[in-house]
Amino acid sequence: MQRAALKQSLFSDDKFLPAHQLVASLLDIAISRGANKQRLMRGTGIFYEDIVTGQGKISPLQFFKFVANVQAQTNGKDNAFLLGRRLFPGNYGHVSNALMHSRNLSDALRLAQRFQMILCPFVDIRRYQDQHFCHFIVRDALGCGEHWPFIIETYSTALIAASKLLAGKRIPFYVDFPFARPRHIQEYEENIGLRLRFSQPFWRIRVEKQWLNQPFLQPSHSLKQHAMQQALQDLPDGVSFLKQIRQLIQCLPASKLDTIAHRLNMSPATFKRKLKSHGMRFQQLQDELGTEQALYLLQVQGLNNEDSALAMQFSDVTNFRRAVKRWTGLTPSELRLGAE
Amino acid sequence: MNYSLLLRHQTLISIFGGFLCLAISLSFGLGQLKTWAEIAWLDVLGEGSVALLSFVWIFFLLVSRPPGKVTSALVLGLCFFMFSALLDFFDKFEHYNNAAAFLSLIESIPAGIGMFIMTYALYQWHQEQLTLNRQLQRREAHQREHQQVDFITSLYRADYMRDQIDLQLRTKQDSAFSVVIMDIDNFDQFNRTYGHHDGDRVLREVAELILINLRKTDLLCRYAGDRFILLLPDTGLDKARELADEICQAVRHWSFKTSDNGDAVFHKLTFAADESRNNDDVEPLINRVNRQLDLVKQA
Repeated sequence: MQRAALKQSLFSDDKFLPAHQLVASLLDIAISRGANKQRLMRGTGIFYEDIVTGQGKISPLQFFKFVANVQAQTNGKDNAFLLGRRLFPGNYGHVSNALMHSRNLSDALRLAQRFQMILCPFVDIRRYQDQHFCHFIVRDALGCGEHWPFIIETYSTALIAASKLLAGKRIPFYVDFPFARPRHIQEYEENIGLRLRFSQPFWRIRVEKQWLNQPFLQPSHSLKQHAMQQALQDLPDGVSFLKQIRQLIQCLPASKLDTIAHRLNMSPATFKRKLKSHGMRFQQLQDELGTEQALYLLQVQGLNNEDSALAMQFSDVTNFRRAVKRWTGLTPSELRLGAE
Repeated sequence: MNYSLLLRHQTLISIFGGFLCLAISLSFGLGQLKTWAEIAWLDVLGEGSVALLSFVWIFFLLVSRPPGKVTSALVLGLCFFMFSALLDFFDKFEHYNNAAAFLSLIESIPAGIGMFIMTYALYQWHQEQLTLNRQLQRREAHQREHQQVDFITSLYRADYMRDQIDLQLRTKQDSAFSVVIMDIDNFDQFNRTYGHHDGDRVLREVAELILINLRKTDLLCRYAGDRFILLLPDTGLDKARELADEICQAVRHWSFKTSDNGDAVFHKLTFAADESRNNDDVEPLINRVNRQLDLVKQA
């Protein structure tokens, strides 16, 4: 069997995040809120010099440790939102320039997907469309664990702030969150908007299709191309671990853990251990994809239970209904209604 | 913890040291050590903890209060108290001969003096607190929860406001009150141009400006980001709009000087207001105002 060479997997303990981006911004925020620099860096293994020189790289795990220190030392709940507002354009250099000169929202989103490993390596995004909406399902690609809400808050805010800057007005994004409505809801309303739903199966961002053609303020094809060429040099050569596995499971549907491990040149035991260190089980990943597919068929395509069961290769409707209930806690009919 | 105040208390620290040395030299200079068997350890534990805790109290006073009359009186009183406690503690380890027996007779007198001084100091503290409360008017309602204070503006955060609105809804059903939310226009743009340090300063100064334009009974909190929320008790919607308009005018005429080169930058506020209804609830009320504000901003 002919196989394309796989990209290198990037794990949560690989040092590939530029230290001067996220950490520098968050450090500024925490210090201006009265935190102590030494204590913020304690136990993270990050050196202040790495941040200042702009040369140092850190791992996602180091970043999470740093986030934990920041949260412990500042008593507000707004760190993630402040960080989100500061990310674009300051933090991304050439990619920011390319985005600045994109034509419209659709163009910018395509660019963002291309440079996702620079913009936000923590996530794995899948896009689909229905009659009225363009949907983005966003998943954990690096085992963010307890910091997943922080990542969600940060990048939801960044998306809203960046699109407002590029379009010159607020684009109405709808955002679903995979956790209960938090007490600091005011930060969500202020930074993300009022089109919010909580306790949903995943982090999902939607926008009405007509907004995709929303023209941006400074379009320029040649400036964009030039910035993209430069940005390509900064693009890490690899792909976040969980994202890679999801891609593999989708390419090789119904494959077992051993097959995927083999494809990654790992022993099944190593593969399991790596999954565990990213807070994930193989079954969980398969269930996620099942949920996603069921949601797509029921909500987007609007199929009935029989046709959905058939499309997902279930032997009968009862099994399909049971599986959906197990994945999402809702029956297929309830899920279909959830589209409204 | 922040120990910077400690450095400003050199005199008080020397007085504390003086009391400590005097207690040690008096007890150990005049008495003879007991043997191990003679020491009553239960007493040692009891008296020792009194002495130790008085150290802790003095320490907390010194790290939390700036110098001044009230602080001096409090520390001095506690030092007298600690002196007695120390004598009491040390004589568990010492025999005194007849010439020094007066020591155990007088050892409780300093504690009495200390208590007098501290009572006086507490009265002064009460007066001081009343003054401080006046300074906090319009920043604080009937409750004090220092964990809920925002670091940047020193205003209470949204949680506190929600509790206060809830209290109004529950206790004052007969009279309507209003809630106003205000937001600084183009604040993101300002941050990008002049930096976040100046952005924080704008937030602080706008907060001050709003405060001076409020009545005594009103309450201002920071909602989120560049949004502020106002609670106006016993105020109808028209009156609330009028008040908010006055605040907006005050802010429009105020020129912020940037840290870079002292350029004047002017700001504009946008606000939305609504009043409480029958059987209202906190979230729906705030939500109504927020939606209105979004509509105004989009227009």
